[in-house]
Amino acid sequence: MEALVAERVSKCYGEAETRVCALNAISIRLESGKIVALLGPSGSGKSTLIKAVGLVTPPDAGNIWMQDKLVVKAGQRTANASKLRREYLGFVFQKANLIPFLTARQNVEIACEIGGDPNPRARATELLEYLGVMSRGSALPATLSGGEQQRVAIARALANRPSLILADEPTAALDKARGRAVMELFARVAHEQGAAVLVVTHDQRTLDVFDVLYQMEDGRLERWREVVPVAS
Amino acid sequence: MNLALQDVRRNPGRFVGTSIGMSLLFTVVLAMAGIYQGLVEDATVLVRSLHADVWVVQHGTRGPFADISRLDPSMEARVAAVPGVRRARSFTYQVLQRQQGARSLRFAIVGQGWPDDRGGDLPLMAGRPLGQSHGELIADASLGLPIGATLHLGDEEYRVVGLTKQFLASSGDAILVATRSDAQLIVENLPPDAVRTERERRAERLRSTDLGRAQPSLEDLAVDPQWRPPALPSSTIAAVLVDIYGDARLNDVRRTIASWPDASVYTTPEQERLLLDGVVEKPRRQLGLFSLILVLTSSVLIAAVIYMMTLQKTHDIAVLKLMGAPATRIAAMVLQQAWLIGILAYAIAIAIGTQAFPHFPRRVVLTTLSISGVGALVVVVSTLASLLGVAYALKVDAGRALEA
Repeated sequence: MEALVAERVSKCYGEAETRVCALNAISIRLESGKIVALLGPSGSGKSTLIKAVGLVTPPDAGNIWMQDKLVVKAGQRTANASKLRREYLGFVFQKANLIPFLTARQNVEIACEIGGDPNPRARATELLEYLGVMSRGSALPATLSGGEQQRVAIARALANRPSLILADEPTAALDKARGRAVMELFARVAHEQGAAVLVVTHDQRTLDVFDVLYQMEDGRLERWREVVPVAS
Repeated sequence: MNLALQDVRRNPGRFVGTSIGMSLLFTVVLAMAGIYQGLVEDATVLVRSLHADVWVVQHGTRGPFADISRLDPSMEARVAAVPGVRRARSFTYQVLQRQQGARSLRFAIVGQGWPDDRGGDLPLMAGRPLGQSHGELIADASLGLPIGATLHLGDEEYRVVGLTKQFLASSGDAILVATRSDAQLIVENLPPDAVRTERERRAERLRSTDLGRAQPSLEDLAVDPQWRPPALPSSTIAAVLVDIYGDARLNDVRRTIASWPDASVYTTPEQERLLLDGVVEKPRRQLGLFSLILVLTSSVLIAAVIYMMTLQKTHDIAVLKLMGAPATRIAAMVLQQAWLIGILAYAIAIAIGTQAFPHFPRRVVLTTLSISGVGALVVVVSTLASLLGVAYALKVDAGRALEA
């Protein structure tokens, strides 16, 4: 099943001579269980695409489906954005963006609550164990390492069992080893949890973990390629 | 999970510090309410303690507390003769300031009819009611006089035989209770020269008459210290307190006395209302306006604090929104924080007030009603103060969570 289908999505800013189109009739399909990299220089429109498919900033035109449900029709949301995000989406940011006054477990638990899980505490425990940070569950974010914070952030993104996880440069604040570990974790999440994971990244050293690569340039998806696993 | 409580738990210093600041304002609001309640109780304690069914005062006045009332002492006997009247008691009242050694004493002196009124109905905390017609006083404990203390008032010595607790005039001054004749002696306290001169004149006039010359012993009467000079106004009473046989006759008695040209009649509840309207009304308004300013100040401060706290959480709010948190959950977090600050501040205010108010110069009475009333006001103020923060939080763009 396709976790996301975007069709001719456009988003422009400014008027007349100052008008700049960050997304030029972009179409993209993300399959469930695949990890996809979105590459491209700064200003190419990657963040705008994440905001559009993340239902944060509505596009000017185009349609978006999530698991076959039309969520954006001709640039207009078909339902409440918060509700749609609760149902379909998980986010991971450049910084972990954990809520500082909640412990690691509480950060995941609050996401489970918002996602409508009937037993948020148990679900949070399950996710922290899955991501290997259960031992740090009672720690506040400020006391966690960068890698631990991102693991907790990924656990949080999985709280509502999303069909699509959007990650905006999640390894930018990490060193090489930790960055790679996080990317591998995303791949594991995609393959084991069955979610599609769209990762915006500049890190060329970890491209081997991705199933599909997209390249953005001037608001267009210039090219893409399927990554053939080395083993095969 | 309650986000507001978690925030308080992890940042206790900020919340407690803010709440302590707010509590000082709420302490003053609580004091205003307590001072007002104290005014009301002080104003009515005397009227209630005298247990009269009806008050007879000078015609056209609202005396004896809200107005000046002067009645001829014969009014007591006239009232007593009205059918339905069980008992009539004369009553005098005057606020005075007298020097006692190095100390200046300010008090209200109440004169009661002897021997019917000995002060047995007063809230005595020590000692006994008046036991003789002259030379004894019942004093309020706030004057700091012990049982047996002697006061030099006018030309006489008076001994304190009983102590009352919180038996104050509407002005907040302590009340001294004496027999009516003693109270009048103390109030009038005429200069000795005026008394002596009038006595000499009387003796001279007597000597110039045949009767005076024929009976020189009459001069002894003229110079008797108990004799009052007729050139000076005769003593008046402020009111007559009337007890009636059964409530059914109250209206009859009232109608009869009200028909007299020199008397007005009030029931005890009416007398209380006059006191509250006349004596307490202006202080009440003043306290009310002062409280209003404090409440507005508190609201603005809580609003500013909550707004700043919400500003600091902008990114967290954006993250919550991106996770799909409904607006109600985000608004509740801001609102609950405002409530927590308000409630904690109010609890501290009550603790401070309970310790500090007994040391205030005027009585501060904290009733369950005033405590719960100010508490409800705190919740309303906190709610209103949070609106600015809630409005800001609801406007935060979820996309800000994606910004680095």
